[in-house]
Parts: sequence; C-alpha cells; structure tokens
Amino acid sequence: MSGPGRPAWRHTLRGRATLTITAVTVALSAVLAVGVWLAVSHYLLVGRERATLAQTVANAAQVGRALPAPGLSPEQLLAQLPRETGSTSLLARDDRWLTTSLRVGRDDLPAALREAVAGGTPARQRFALQGGTALAVGVPVEGGDAAYFEVFPLEELDRTYTVLAAVLAGAVLATVPVSLLVGSWATRPALRPLDRVSAAAAAVAAGDLSARIDPRGDPALEPIAASFNATVAALEERVRRDARFAADVSHELRTPLTTMLGALALVEGAADDLPEDGREALGMLREEVDRFSRLVADLLEISRADAGGGADALEDVRLAALVREALARRRRPVPLDLGEGAESAVVRADKRRLERVLGNLLDNADQHAGGVTCVRVEADPPRARVLVDDAGPGIPEEDRTRVFERFARGRGRERVPSGGSGLGLSLVTRHLRALGGEVQVTGSPDGGARFVVTLPLAEEQPCGS
Amino acid sequence: MLIIEDDVRVRRMVQLTLQREGYQVTEAATGAEGLARLAEHPADVVLLDLRLPDQDGLEVCRAIRRAGPTPVVIVTARADSDDVVAGLEAGADDYVTKPFVPRELTARIRAVGRRAQPDDGPTSLTAGDLEIAPLAGTVTRDGERIELTRTEFRLLTELAAGAGRVFSREELLDRVWGYGYFGDSRLVDVHVLRLRKKIERDPAHPAIVTTVRGMGYLVPG
Repeated sequence: MSGPGRPAWRHTLRGRATLTITAVTVALSAVLAVGVWLAVSHYLLVGRERATLAQTVANAAQVGRALPAPGLSPEQLLAQLPRETGSTSLLARDDRWLTTSLRVGRDDLPAALREAVAGGTPARQRFALQGGTALAVGVPVEGGDAAYFEVFPLEELDRTYTVLAAVLAGAVLATVPVSLLVGSWATRPALRPLDRVSAAAAAVAAGDLSARIDPRGDPALEPIAASFNATVAALEERVRRDARFAADVSHELRTPLTTMLGALALVEGAADDLPEDGREALGMLREEVDRFSRLVADLLEISRADAGGGADALEDVRLAALVREALARRRRPVPLDLGEGAESAVVRADKRRLERVLGNLLDNADQHAGGVTCVRVEADPPRARVLVDDAGPGIPEEDRTRVFERFARGRGRERVPSGGSGLGLSLVTRHLRALGGEVQVTGSPDGGARFVVTLPLAEEQPCGS
Repeated sequence: MLIIEDDVRVRRMVQLTLQREGYQVTEAATGAEGLARLAEHPADVVLLDLRLPDQDGLEVCRAIRRAGPTPVVIVTARADSDDVVAGLEAGADDYVTKPFVPRELTARIRAVGRRAQPDDGPTSLTAGDLEIAPLAGTVTRDGERIELTRTEFRLLTELAAGAGRVFSREELLDRVWGYGYFGDSRLVDVHVLRLRKKIERDPAHPAIVTTVRGMGYLVPG
C-alpha cells in the first residue's frame, strides 16, 4: 500500500483511523472477555459449591440418623451414601477415620478444616489435592462426636475454566484482523474525499498550479474544496501575473536596448576619433550594455520558465557535436574529452535549450572561476553526462545548492561586475528540468568546481551514423 | 531595403546601420504604410516587426508574400515563441530577435537577399519532374513556371544539386541561411513544408523532397 514517496500506511489518515478503530475494538472485547470470564467462573463455582454443600449436608444428616441405629456398619453406611462420581466421603469418629477412597484420607484434608469441623462448625475449603484442586466440605454429625466430610475434585471445573479462558482469548485475538478489515473497509468511503484533497494539495506542492479538487457533489467536501480551489486559483493567477510582469518588463526593455546596441556599434565604429578617456568610457558602456542585454534576455527566459508552457522543438541531438560546436565558439580554446561511446551519444532535446545550458555553464566559469579547464562528455546508458570543470577555487559543500538560486553570488567577495546576469545557473536548472535532465556541482580533481549535467539518452538511436 | 517598425529610434538606428553598409533604406511606421511603400518601390529585403500599431505583423507578412517573392526578415521579441513559426509559415524567410546587434542584422539581410549563385555549378538541374534553372532563378514543371521565394529556391537548388545525398538540417542552415550549427532548425522544417506545398503533387506524401527520419532531407537521385 505504501509506494515510493508516499507515507507509510500507518501514517495516513485512513491507516490511523483503522488502527484506532482496531485498538478500541480490541480493548472493548478484552474488557468484555474479562467480564464474561469473571461472571461465568463465579457463577459456576457458586453453583458447584451450593450443590456440594447441599449433598454433604444431606449425607451428614443421613449418617447422623443411621449411625446410632443398629444394622449397617459405618463402612457400609458410607459406601451406600449417594455421591457424585469421583467424590469421596470421609467420616471421623473418635479419631477414627473412615474413607470411601483409597486415595483420600485424613491427612489429605487441610488441618484448619478438620479443626473447625471438630469444633462443631461446618466449613468448606478449596485445597490442592494430588496435583489438582479439590473442594472439601465438612459438617459435624448431629448427635455424636463425629464429623462428616466430602471431598469433591474440581478438575472438571478447572477444565471448564481453561476452555472458557481459551475461547475468550481467541475471540479477543480474532477481533484484531476482523476489526482491521472492517475498519479499513469502513473508512475507505468515508475518507475518499480526503484522498482527493491530499492528491490535489500534493500536485500543487509539486508545482502544478492547475490542480483543483472536484467535490463531486459531496456536501462534506464542498466547503473545503471551494476554499482550496479559490486559494490555488489566486496563487496561480499571482504566479502568472508575476511572470507576465517580468515578461512585460523584459519586453519593454528590448526596444530601447536595440537602439542602444545599434548606437553603440555606430559610436564604436568611430572610436578611433575619440580621446583616450572617451574610449575607456565607451568600453565600459559596451560591457554594461552587454550585461544589461543578457539580463533582459535571461529575465524573459526565466519568466517563461516560471509561467510554464512554451513549445519545445525536440529533436535528436548528438551531444558531442553540440558540445564541440559550443566550445568552438568560445574565445579561448577548451580541451574536450570524450568518454567511451560519447561520440555517438544522442539525446532527445531542444537544441536551443541545450545550447543555453552549455553557454551559461561556460559563461559562469569564465565570469566567476577563471575559465573552463576541461569539458568531458560521457555516455552511461540510459544517461549521458557533460562535465564542465573550471579553474576556480571550487564551491564549498554548503553553497552547492545555493549557487543555482537566482542572483546568488559568492560569499564575502567584493562585488566586481562580472558580466553575468545572476540568472544563468538558475536558468540551467530550469532548462534541464524541462529536458528531463539535471545539474549538480561537485569538485574537480584539480580543486575547481565541476558542474555535471545529466540527460536521458534518446531511446532510439538514429539509423546510420 | 524597407523597414517596417513602429519605434522611431529603432527605425532610425537600423537605417543608420544599414546605410553605413551601403543599403538604401526606406522606412514605414505602420503595416499599411509599409505595404504602400512596397507597392511604390520594390525592395530587396523587408525587415518587419511583428508588433505593429495598426495591424498584425503576420497579416502584413502574408500580404507581402502575396504581392511577390520579396525576402522578409521578421523581428520578434522571443526566439522561443510561437511567433517565429507563425511568421515563417506566413512566408518570412528568416528572423531576428530583439535586441539584435547590427552585425547580426546585416548578416541576416545579406543572407536572404542574395540570389542562388552556384559558383561553377550546372546551368540546369532536375528534381523529380521539375526543371530548375539556377541562373535564371526559375523552376518549371511541364513548361509551367512555379513561383518560389528566393529562400525556397535556394533550398531546392541545394538539395537538387546534391541529389541522392541526405542533407542534415545544420548543413542546410549553413548553405541556405549562412548559419552555423546553432541555427534554428525550425527555419529548415517550415521552409521545406512551404516548398512542398508549392512543388509536390501531393504535399502530404512528398516525392521530390523527402524526409529521412533523424537525419535530414533528400532529393532522390
């Protein structure tokens, strides 16, 4: 029931409800079982005691009547008394003990009982007898110095107790799976609406702002669905508005930027006529306009990535060829290292996105880390990797996710205009996400930073070469 | 050379830049004005901003295309937008994105403006049942002329001159548009579609310019 990425079943609402139902059911049935056991065992014992008492008293009365009369010897008298099977009659007369059983004699009776009865008080006592329990009842015989005892084995009763306890315990145990099943079955329809709520909330959290809850006419769900949907709609509208604003700003900046770039090129054409300081100012202007234009381009790109959508022109791209072309366009030569099978590695991607990914990584190395030292392409089906090593001091472990945030800059460094927009690495992640790939930063063997781009290889290699 | 653009400074800047390159530039601020100018003075190349105050730039592009084979370079805000494909389908030959640098602009204009010039190539080519005369710039089927834009014509000529060989998109971008590896392959795809509509008997089942999946395009030899 618990798939990857989902909470363990017992932590879900339904799991918890089912477990609670089970716990309550088991507790109730245990209480019930104990109650039943106490009541039934008490009832059985009392009934047994009453029956044995009645029999003993009746037998004692008969002994009292028959003893003084001539005829039967005391032994014969005892033998013919009506008795339950298994019970033993004992007669104590002038310290002479008669018994109807070879196994039970005077010494088997508890001394306290013997003394009480000898003192003229009827008594009964449960005691251990030959590994079991037995009940002894003693009654003084009327009109004589005799005492009549009967000993009843309680094995039967003990067995009944055992069976009863086993049945009750079994019933309590059986309620566990049964109430789990019933609880699970009963909570399913009750909590199904919540499943929809949690699915929608998870979708929103994952970035799908178009997710909504459909209450499907469930009156219990309608208020929460309405407020949830309204919240998400507001959020979606706000994200869209922000993205649109960024796009509009970028758009509006493009036209003046075009004029600036054109004018700058014209002035640069006449740079030789300018004095020295004028030329330096012109150089600064060129750098800033270039940076500004990159920022505007990145801003538009990032707003597009945020707003989602945009059709990708997916095609089969030879990764090694694309990287080679990208490196050939750099001002400084960069060594390209190809792993086994890398030359023929083909990824299915939007070439412009990939170009931006590479361009941004190379720009980043140039602007912040003293340039690229080596680029390596590796094929590791079902993935391909591009490794970009730079000559910088490396990126500390704790900053390695932060570098991909917008406008992230190195810590504690003087803010030297680097020519970067501060959006480049953030765009790299966004582009790669759209292509089903990812980027990570580790360290290169030379101590610099190593950016590792991972992309899925195209499923079908194009025919021919 | 005609520029249709609503922003006066951009218009002036392009004018200054291109004049320096030796082009004669006429300008228009609206689509209607641009079409009127074009009717008066035929231009070698039209630079057309898709965002115009009076009408949709795509409409203007289609109108220019209906009027003749004048090469059109559209100006868009974003290379990744649907504007580019829409503009190419409306008949544009190439595009530049704002902010463009003058160097890029002149390169694009020069590329679309040049005629097909097979240096020492053959004076006549065939592709299927088509007769191509590279020097005259004409394509005929059974003596009947088929009107192609210059870019379409250059594309067909390149493919026919290498009949039997598969051309990759990158190769065609380089030969026809003068781009390197990073040219936009949509340029090729949209132009091939446009070309097929004009030259194929059944554009849905092309016989003259065929696609080789994963590799490129081919005129069977």
